[in-house]
Amino acid sequence: MNINRRKFHKASGAVLLAYAVGGDLLLLSPAKPQEQKVPYQILTEEEAGLLELLSEAIVPDAQKSGISHYIDHQLAAPKADNMLILKYLGVPHPQVNFYRQALLAFKKSCPLFQKKNITDVTASELQDYVKLMIQQNPPDWHDAPPAPFFYFTLRSDAIDVTYGTMEGFSKLNIPYMAHIEPAGKGWA
Amino acid sequence: MTSNKNSPPNITLKKCDVVIVGAGAAGSLLAAGLAQSGKTTVILEAGPERKLSDLVSSGLHSRKLKWFGSPVEESGDKPIGNNFNSGYGTGGSALHHFAVWPRLHEEDFQMKSLYNRGLDWPLTYHELRPYYDRIQKQLGISGDKMAEIWRPKGAKYPMDPVPTLAQGEVIARGFKKLGRKTAPLPMAINTDEYNGRDPCIWDGWCDAGCPTGALANPLVTTLPEALKNGALIRHNATVCQILTNDKGDKATGVIYIDADGQRIMQPAKLVILAAFAVQTPRLMLLSANDAHPNGLSNQNGLVGKYLMSHTAGLIYGLFDEETQCYLGAAGGQLLNQDHYDQKDKRAKGFGSFQWMIAQATKPNDLLGFAGSNTALFGDALTNFMKKAAHGFATMTACVEDLPVKENHVRLSENTDNHGLPLAHTHHNSHPDSKALWHASLEDGKSVFKAAGAAEIWTGPEGAMHIMGGTVMGKDAKRSVTDSYGKCHEIDNLFIAGSGLFPTSGGVNPTFTVHALSLRAADFIKENWSNLT
Repeated sequence: MNINRRKFHKASGAVLLAYAVGGDLLLLSPAKPQEQKVPYQILTEEEAGLLELLSEAIVPDAQKSGISHYIDHQLAAPKADNMLILKYLGVPHPQVNFYRQALLAFKKSCPLFQKKNITDVTASELQDYVKLMIQQNPPDWHDAPPAPFFYFTLRSDAIDVTYGTMEGFSKLNIPYMAHIEPAGKGWA
Repeated sequence: MTSNKNSPPNITLKKCDVVIVGAGAAGSLLAAGLAQSGKTTVILEAGPERKLSDLVSSGLHSRKLKWFGSPVEESGDKPIGNNFNSGYGTGGSALHHFAVWPRLHEEDFQMKSLYNRGLDWPLTYHELRPYYDRIQKQLGISGDKMAEIWRPKGAKYPMDPVPTLAQGEVIARGFKKLGRKTAPLPMAINTDEYNGRDPCIWDGWCDAGCPTGALANPLVTTLPEALKNGALIRHNATVCQILTNDKGDKATGVIYIDADGQRIMQPAKLVILAAFAVQTPRLMLLSANDAHPNGLSNQNGLVGKYLMSHTAGLIYGLFDEETQCYLGAAGGQLLNQDHYDQKDKRAKGFGSFQWMIAQATKPNDLLGFAGSNTALFGDALTNFMKKAAHGFATMTACVEDLPVKENHVRLSENTDNHGLPLAHTHHNSHPDSKALWHASLEDGKSVFKAAGAAEIWTGPEGAMHIMGGTVMGKDAKRSVTDSYGKCHEIDNLFIAGSGLFPTSGGVNPTFTVHALSLRAADFIKENWSNLT
């Protein structure tokens, strides 16, 4: 039995982050605060930059899909609303330090940062570094979760935000077919 | 706020007939049965209230349904994956379960007698069979009895089988080329309207909870029945202690902590623990008192022991044809149990496994196709995603986990935000179970090769389902409860759920949980005056 592909859901407003602005609640897709440079609640600008850079190297399009605001929002969310993959992986809430320590270790252990500013490094330049961190802790990766574990986590996060949304399904040309759409439910 | 077990409760409620800890599959079913018989029944659920409108179709939102109560520590070479496998809130883990409902086989109940392995159950398949039959009629199962050539005796399914879609057809081709059969997967998912519940539309969001009522989760089956018959449910009610009389031979109620941190005593004539395989033994150990210094009903030291978790044998493939892998049910479309019976006649390992074939697979989450090959990143990942969206296929072996006493739940030295010791779980794979898992991967790869997969790969040793920890048995020296879940040392303290299983078999546990719970409900009703 084959089922014909159904009409795709439109991507507009599919999965949203909730922001309180001037007493009003604004719902934005994760890409919007990224575009509009909305301030982070938990991450520093440098941490967000490192997060975007490494995520983009692992999952192309993660940056513009809003990876840094997605994670920032999740880290600020109450335990009951936590949707991070870390929930499954034995890292108890709050998980801020997991990311913070790993990003610091990334900054210290990536040799490119000795030659360039973080903002000048591109995702494509990180291929060898990512290959290494899949297998083992790179040299100078200290006081942080194991690099392969962080890779797995960040890869999952980046896939969530890039492909796990209605927009992401559209990108793959497959139907979303929600019973109850995530639209309006917010991300946190 | 910390909770000193010796401090008096802030509030003492009116005594009820039955208090049930946990609103999952077992607790909800027992509540329905006992409330219907006129027993005043209170369910205490540690997690929040869940409504059908909360079941958002999203791999991200589905994570909200999973465990976020007191952290569970895990160790061993194959940790049980508590947070993935456990639920939290109304419906428990049954709210997000995949509704694959095969029966255990006859030999699963007699492992010790037949093979001198593991443990015997205190009942036979034939004693449990009428309850399987009643449950499948009551809640509805779709399947094809005749096609399931491996199935033990039992009534025919009340609904037609689930459909075989493109992914199922592709993989079934491999089995057929090898001279093997497949059958529709028996599922507690409607293929037609059943008891007022709609049929499934095969959109593959089972893991996020089914809001349509097609999948038999407690929100649409037993819990409404319980509430209709007068049962009460209290959410955000974390039970921290089971109370007994001074002699220790009767449970007298429980103490729970509500959302405001108040300690509330709920006296009851009979107590049922249905808090799943980790929290139930934790609660029994937390409730140690003068009469039960090692934890309730734990003279033999077996509370928490024989913790089990099936191993998932994950086979993945890319095909050149359209598989529409995102359609169907999350549990799959087809079944094969060629490797189930004759547990001792294996080239490698010992035990049983079954194939659940053609799971509906979305792009993300632990079981999504992006996660099937975690070494891919960058442009290679992007290319894979494009191919997988249209040609991905998968099947999963549910591999038996031999019961080992050393695999256990114990109290940790660390505490939760109530000051109560956490559960620490320890689980190593038995070497024969691990060998059986390896054998399942070899078998699965041969099927995908025969099916014509362009690429074939396998997944890591993942934990699926949690069982044991409060095993049932005939001998009080070697088990925690009798065949009805009645604790050997306390007549009015019952345990319900998969924690009772002495062996895991190689099938999904939820159907058996329902059958055992129905049998226990009948027993409690028939023996009420003796028990209380």
